[in-house]
Amino acid sequence: MGLLAAGIGAGIVALGAGIGIGMIGKSATESIARQPEASGDIRGAMILTAAFIEGVALLGAVICILLALGIGS
Amino acid sequence: MVQALRRVLLTFFFLSISTSNIFASASDASEAGEEPVIDVMGTVADHDYFKTPLGKIYLPRIFYWENANGESSVSFFSSTKKALASDEFIESEEGAIVPAGGGSIKIDFSITSHLLYYWFGMGLAVLLTVAAAKRYNKGVGRDVEPKGTFQNIFEVLFLFIRDDVARENIDHHKADKYVPFLFTMFMGISFMNLFGLLPWGATATADLTVTATLAAVTFVITQFSGTKDYWAHVFWFPGVPTWVRAILTPVEILGLFTKPFALAIRLFANMLSGKIMIIAILGLVFIFADLFGSVAGYGVGIFSVSLTVVLYALKVFVALLQAYIFTLLSAVFIGMAAEDHDHAEEEYYTEHIAE
Repeated sequence: MGLLAAGIGAGIVALGAGIGIGMIGKSATESIARQPEASGDIRGAMILTAAFIEGVALLGAVICILLALGIGS
Repeated sequence: MVQALRRVLLTFFFLSISTSNIFASASDASEAGEEPVIDVMGTVADHDYFKTPLGKIYLPRIFYWENANGESSVSFFSSTKKALASDEFIESEEGAIVPAGGGSIKIDFSITSHLLYYWFGMGLAVLLTVAAAKRYNKGVGRDVEPKGTFQNIFEVLFLFIRDDVARENIDHHKADKYVPFLFTMFMGISFMNLFGLLPWGATATADLTVTATLAAVTFVITQFSGTKDYWAHVFWFPGVPTWVRAILTPVEILGLFTKPFALAIRLFANMLSGKIMIIAILGLVFIFADLFGSVAGYGVGIFSVSLTVVLYALKVFVALLQAYIFTLLSAVFIGMAAEDHDHAEEEYYTEHIAE
């Protein structure tokens, strides 16, 4: 049961993080295309925001690992 | 071209010899009735030994413990085996070490592999920085141009942290005060992450205790650099009705702690997942060999080993990126706390709109 929960959870985590980082990438490339001279600042902001999403996603991933290994059950 | 091809063939030949040895030892183990198991968590967990290319070096165990009568004392042993041989400590059923005559271990001060790699990483950062500082004191880089590869790379890194991380996010007249801290964090975490990529190394940052300690340092520095405005925004948010403050104050107080918590979890989970991913992809070889025979194992091996090589290159990038992100977010949090606010807008609001 823990393994099933971990599998489903990992899938949802990947889904959420994928949507989030995809949206950042979309808007970043759009803004770089619109204003190429600001590409440095935009890239910095992109990495920072992606790091926030990654943090939340990895928190979910760690919980999935804990479920899969049966720690705490 | 021919030479390169010959080299590849030779490498493959040597590899196949050594892998057949591994297979032979694995089949010996299975004949003896033991299942060959890949210990995934064992490779990322903390250990009481330190791996070198020549073998394991066991590390000292230091316990602050209390016996059954309630008397506390400190015991020092050069290794876990010595501790178990001394009759004072026995191994419990869960594999933990407990005092033989009852009682409990209050604080375990033992030196572990992750702690050792933490010291290596931070020590190397200090060594390089001191070496560079000596050169600048002599005048190289101040009066004349910086000389040599080391000083040039150092200067690029240092200016990157000072200009793009510290001065960008912290108020300009305060930023330089925090550059030493940020640079130590960046170098130390980079080295700790990169040490984990050594074949026998351990990733200290793949341990929540290490990252939590680093985040706690950031937390303390953030709170101590907080201005009056910062604390006003936490406890008595300006410019909002009083009943809103009843909601805002708990949220803001919670926010103080979630920031370093996220900082610790991000670094820890990134390093841990990178390590587990490589083991999982290499583990596919053995899963396929188990399911469809050793030929399938060899076939999958070609893909998984080349994928692992690519992942390793990615991990070098991620190691530096995570150190950068940790430093950047530390700078952002400190900058938010140390910011001097412009009060013109708030005063305008309280004077003209609030009534």
